[in-house]
Amino acid sequence: MLKVENLRAGYSGDDAVRGISMEVTEGSCVALVGANGAGKSTLAKALCGLLTPRAGRVFFDGKEITGLPASEVARRGLSLCPEGRRVFGPLTVEENLLLGAYPRLPSFGPFRRAASGDLQQIYRMFPRLDERRAQQAGSLSGGEQQMLAIGRALMARPRFMVLDEPSMGLAPLVVKEVFEAIRALHSSGMTILLSEQFAKIALAVSDRAYIIERGSVVLEGASAGLAENPAVMAAYLG
Amino acid sequence: MDAKYLALAQMAVGGGLMGMAYALVAYGFQLTYAAGKAVNFGQGELVMLGAFAGISLSGIGLPYWATVLGAMVAGAALGWCIERVAVRLALQQRNEGWILLTIIVGLFSLSLVENIWGRDDRPYPTPWPAEALDFFGISVTWPELAIAAGALGIMTLVELAKRYTMVGIAVQAVSADPDAAELCGIRSRSAISLSWMVSGVAAAFAGTVIGPVTTVGPTMAAALTLKAFSVAVVAGLDSGFGLVLAGIALGVAENLSGYVLGSGWREAPGLILLILALSLRPQGVFGKKIIRKV
Repeated sequence: MLKVENLRAGYSGDDAVRGISMEVTEGSCVALVGANGAGKSTLAKALCGLLTPRAGRVFFDGKEITGLPASEVARRGLSLCPEGRRVFGPLTVEENLLLGAYPRLPSFGPFRRAASGDLQQIYRMFPRLDERRAQQAGSLSGGEQQMLAIGRALMARPRFMVLDEPSMGLAPLVVKEVFEAIRALHSSGMTILLSEQFAKIALAVSDRAYIIERGSVVLEGASAGLAENPAVMAAYLG
Repeated sequence: MDAKYLALAQMAVGGGLMGMAYALVAYGFQLTYAAGKAVNFGQGELVMLGAFAGISLSGIGLPYWATVLGAMVAGAALGWCIERVAVRLALQQRNEGWILLTIIVGLFSLSLVENIWGRDDRPYPTPWPAEALDFFGISVTWPELAIAAGALGIMTLVELAKRYTMVGIAVQAVSADPDAAELCGIRSRSAISLSWMVSGVAAAFAGTVIGPVTTVGPTMAAALTLKAFSVAVVAGLDSGFGLVLAGIALGVAENLSGYVLGSGWREAPGLILLILALSLRPQGVFGKKIIRKV
């Protein structure tokens, strides 16, 4: 479903992603594991169009999406739940969710009615968001913001989700809760690319994984096998 | 009431009503700054262009309301153009070139106006009754009332649209976090274009309500930019209806200083306000650091 060929990307100076190739098949959950600064987030941004790759190609559903603006990539069904959550702090929880569905909502008409089915679904999945629907997103706790970010990405009815560091800055108990939600998403059939520095938890929910170091893939394979590989666990314990 | 105080009150009310126009022009700064972190330093020229567009339309026989509508359409088109030619490229390269470029576009339109319409001030014809209304001895003219009603009306309409339409919420999202908005499928650039168009509409509309009070000429532009900018800086460039209060305060201060100290002092409060605001915000109005994260 997603195919990446020899992708190079970065900000000023050296490439942070140095020629990564990878593939994610429909219905699978693939993890990108690597330390902080290994290039995972740069890769995620380059896939979703927030960053224009310097070289290489990205295919989604067999069509090339390299260099398309992020809004276009999102409209094709690839949704990124960004690192650091990036919820719209001054807006309410419900407005944040509605924005996730922006391309298919009426610009001036009764948008809440048009989105009510999807909203109900998200609220069933994350009851805490329902309780706080009229609250400013910036006032939520880190875990709630992460749920909101996932909910917002889901409102787009994506066919493919990229989750970038969903555990970042969260208490262990909350991390567990967030990963339960990711596991549930996966078992409902969603195709997921999960970028995560905690190898243990990432390998536990994913089918396959790529281990990334300094912008390159150093190991890849079935998550179960990688989880038993003592070298991987020694290097990326957590 | 004592005649002297009555005169002062008369000056204050007239100034306050004019101040609403400053607030409306300042609101145009706020709109584009919120969405794209840039403002049009030729906003006063846009007000002037709106007024001249209106006068020309009335010259071909259109009724007042149609000239206002036509000026607003022209304002939207001009706002869109200014963002396209003077702002977008500079912001994409993350530099401040838009400051100089919007000033240049303003100067260009100033000489354009002088060449097309000449340098003389012209009246802006309106259908309002000529006689003034009397409130407890203070007279208020219809064009002055039109400024207040129009400014509040436009600002209220835009604020309602920002809160209660999906497009408005999307523009708010772009101003909060353009990248995250893009990830939601919102085209940030279109949202910024839209905010420049609405800002142009506000400026041109301001021209059609200021014109009947002050007459219309090339000299109105620069002073308006400066005053509106002072108001926007004092009230905050990010958001808020503090604009209306700041605008009224400036209008009142202008008229009173002109009356008490002599007409040469009329322009002083705006400049003093700007200097004070800028020295109290030493980080500068646009002094937000851009932090990049890998």
